[in-house]
Amino acid sequence: MLQTETTTTGVGLPEKSAFSWRKVGVFFGALTVFYLLINVYLRLFAFSKGLDYTSQDYSTYWMGMLLTEFVVEAITAAALWGWLWITRDRALDRLTPAEELTRYWAWAAIVLSYAFSVYVGASFFTEQDGTWHNTVVRDTDFTPSHIVEFYLTFPIYIIFGVASLIYAMTRLPQFATRISLPYVILIGSPIMIMPNIGLNEFGHTRWFMEELFVAPLHWGFAFFGWGGLAIFGVGLQACPRIMALIHHVYYGKPILSASEVLKDPTGTCDPACCYPASEA
Amino acid sequence: MEEIQADAEAKRVTRRFEWFLLVTIALVLMGTYHLHQELFAGDWSFWLDWKDRNWWPIIAPVSAIAYPAATQWLLWTKFRMPFGATLCALLLLLAEWLSRYWNFWDWTHYPLNFVFPETFVPAAVVLDVLLMLTGNWVVTALIGGELWGWLFYPTNWIMIAPYHVPVEYQGALMSVADVISYMYVRTSTPEYLRIVETGTMRSFAGGVTGVAAFFSGFLAAILYAVWWIVGALFGGTKFFKPYAVATEELRKAREKGWDAGRTV
Repeated sequence: MLQTETTTTGVGLPEKSAFSWRKVGVFFGALTVFYLLINVYLRLFAFSKGLDYTSQDYSTYWMGMLLTEFVVEAITAAALWGWLWITRDRALDRLTPAEELTRYWAWAAIVLSYAFSVYVGASFFTEQDGTWHNTVVRDTDFTPSHIVEFYLTFPIYIIFGVASLIYAMTRLPQFATRISLPYVILIGSPIMIMPNIGLNEFGHTRWFMEELFVAPLHWGFAFFGWGGLAIFGVGLQACPRIMALIHHVYYGKPILSASEVLKDPTGTCDPACCYPASEA
Repeated sequence: MEEIQADAEAKRVTRRFEWFLLVTIALVLMGTYHLHQELFAGDWSFWLDWKDRNWWPIIAPVSAIAYPAATQWLLWTKFRMPFGATLCALLLLLAEWLSRYWNFWDWTHYPLNFVFPETFVPAAVVLDVLLMLTGNWVVTALIGGELWGWLFYPTNWIMIAPYHVPVEYQGALMSVADVISYMYVRTSTPEYLRIVETGTMRSFAGGVTGVAAFFSGFLAAILYAVWWIVGALFGGTKFFKPYAVATEELRKAREKGWDAGRTV
């Protein structure tokens, strides 16, 4: 079933400011500055205060940071996810196309935050952990690079990922009544990297291993990272709906209404609908 | 006039959503492809002395074929865009260089010519062109997969050749890469000696790299097909009904006599 079968009435154009780069830019600027500051902290105190787990400096500079991370992350996750749930839309069937389109913009910003955090955690700080372990012999599971990589950057992408999923399921008709398989994989699979740290740390604790980065003990991280490929499926689900909304809002083309999408979102996923407005 | 304004606004909004989508996909690919590659072939990528002529030409390309094949599935089958593999190779290279520069060189102070990454861009261009010309993923797997394995070493050789020049160091014959390696002993050095410096690599005159590349191409051809299918699976648009909805539908169906004709 294609999106062109049914129409809805009452088209209103969204405000231009609804699709502003400014808020997105400010948010990403803040996020980038935050990661830079974390990197600066690591450079200042990893080698100077982070080589001896039994020292007082280690407790002050690194274990203190770890405990702070746990507390702040738990509060942030509970507050953000709770707020998204409490303020959920309870009348999604009456959602106008213009409002739905602006919500996709907000959703895209959250998903982009997730993607950026996945890059920072899985790519940049993971290799940083590699060069750290090749330089320093570890004497604890909670090495400075782990306190940044495992217990800071990984929870951050989990917080953004789950937040995007809650936002989609509570505010976008396409994801409200059905569970998107690729979306669950996109968020759930990288989440499993966090429990996989248990396996990793057990292995490094039980066996005094040389720091071979390609050791099979590490493969669980890569396996769960593959879930990132599900961005393909999520994109193929959302893209046609977004384009259909643009065609409808600005050109008056027919579209499935919110209530129809709620009944059957599969009709919104035809990639043939995913072409630019200029070709409408 | 209003129509023109609406058209302009529609194009503006469309472009912005496209940027969101492109950057999001690029960041996820950078993050997870790099994670994949560093955990399956990372040590060979990190260190110059690991870039041997026996294992490196096998492990690096065989691992790296995964994401290009999966991304080609998306971009070719859904949008007829023939640059999925090149896109992945460039994103991987960018992610690796960002890390090597800031982490390996700027933080732990290894020289850049000791930690520069390999490149898959030339082989990826060949893979993309093959898919574009044939339009057939099986042919691309068979020919492109083989070429992916064969092309890896020659297309990287120009970068590593200066470090394979033989030198005499404290009475022993070794390569420039070895000398740098012994200046920068790492915790993975024993593994390097055990894995790389084994077998007949040093004494088996000629043929080592060619056979390794041949084997690499064989594995890459198989894995291309596997990862193309993986791309299709992850690119699926399946929705599931939540438990409550499925239960409600079952209840309604029963009320309509759905199971009236069933025998117990």
